[in-house]
Amino acid sequence: MKKLYSLVLAVLMIWGVAQPVHAYPYYAQEAYKSPREATGRIVCANCHLANKPIKLELPQAVKPDTVFEAVVKLPYDHSKQQVLADGSKGGLNVGAVVVLPEGFKIAPEDRIPPELQEKVKDIYYQPYSETQENIVLVGPISGDDYPEIIFPVLAPDPSKDKNVHFLKYPVYAGGNRGRGQIYPTGEKSNNVQFTAPAGGMITKIEEIPANEDEGFYGGHAVTIKTESGETVTENIPAGPALLVHVGDIVKAGQPLTENPNVGGFGQAEGHVVLQDPQRIQWLLAFFAAVIVTQILLVLKKKQYEKVQAAEMNF
Amino acid sequence: MSKIQKLPDLNNPILRAKLEKGMGHNYYGEPAWPNDLLYIFPVCILGTIALCVGLAVLDPTPIGEPADPFATPLEILPEWFLYPVFQILRVVPNKLLGIALMGSIPLGLMLVPFIENVNKFQNPFRRPLATAVFLFGTLFTLYLGYGATLPIDKSLTLGLF
Repeated sequence: MKKLYSLVLAVLMIWGVAQPVHAYPYYAQEAYKSPREATGRIVCANCHLANKPIKLELPQAVKPDTVFEAVVKLPYDHSKQQVLADGSKGGLNVGAVVVLPEGFKIAPEDRIPPELQEKVKDIYYQPYSETQENIVLVGPISGDDYPEIIFPVLAPDPSKDKNVHFLKYPVYAGGNRGRGQIYPTGEKSNNVQFTAPAGGMITKIEEIPANEDEGFYGGHAVTIKTESGETVTENIPAGPALLVHVGDIVKAGQPLTENPNVGGFGQAEGHVVLQDPQRIQWLLAFFAAVIVTQILLVLKKKQYEKVQAAEMNF
Repeated sequence: MSKIQKLPDLNNPILRAKLEKGMGHNYYGEPAWPNDLLYIFPVCILGTIALCVGLAVLDPTPIGEPADPFATPLEILPEWFLYPVFQILRVVPNKLLGIALMGSIPLGLMLVPFIENVNKFQNPFRRPLATAVFLFGTLFTLYLGYGATLPIDKSLTLGLF
């Protein structure tokens, strides 16, 4: 009974974590069957428009049925803060996606060695979808706590899984820090630089009242009067600081606000060899045989040189 | 240095004639057969085979993704030996100019033996013009090839300036 109770509790907990509406990988999971497009672009880049490099660290080779670390490093300036959805400043969150080869997956907890367990215990690894255990999402989690995200990966065993072979496999990773620039609907977030939609004079900057029930935190409406007399209004949500004043003349495309973004998304690619331990043994045996043969050849030459020196016929 | 060294027989007129022309080095020194050919060649051959086998086992060639003709990869780069030419085509604003510059590569190479034709020396140090052209060409090719791997806005300055 106790077991059943804890099972129900565990299911509830996982349900709770797997359904966070504000966890932004959810947008990608909803819209794309695979997070990696045919061009090689990882779909996070469709909303996280800013670009910042990441690093993917993998072992050169892994043995079947062993646990190894795939590390996504997300370097950024930790002294900077980003604007949050309500316009206030806060620390950056990070997230990562790793597209492992088919058959590879996150190691079950009882397989992770204690020292690795220590490093990853608070991270929740979410498979991209029910059928794609090899694509793993993490995040958003605090970037100050996790400047790198470690994925404990269990390598498959070709003797048990007939779809896996001893080969060199590509691994794709995407990593992000900070909020995105647009939403899947195409709307701009407040973590982006706003520009003038048309050239002209700024006639009015109005404050828009906040409506927190609808998730709107206020902002400014900038009205531009173009030379032909039309007025264009650009709504700027709370967050990016305005650079313009009433009476300024702006050109089309000229920035109206500063660029509040400090983060960015990057992707990286690596390779990992699924190595057969038996092959290594045979390879070492072959190397030993080669070395013995080479030594014997050199010795034979030395011996024959003595014959040549004695007979003086060369 | 091998212990077995055959001395040049300078009474042999054939050898003397060959030495005069800067040839005939196989007439003296360590005998090729069997000291080199029978014993040391197999050592090198076996070593090469072992290196190839080791590389094949430890770092096999990955199987690439299935090709999709309708999806251009994010980064397009040709084989590494085409990087310098690719870079020329990439930075030159006009296609016709690009073709002309590409064509000028083999033409320029063909010209190299003739630029310093009056010079009777073979030694590269005594052919300053040809050597300078060769060195400049090599460095410029390396520069172009390295630039091809960088984003286009950094490719000419290599991101240094």
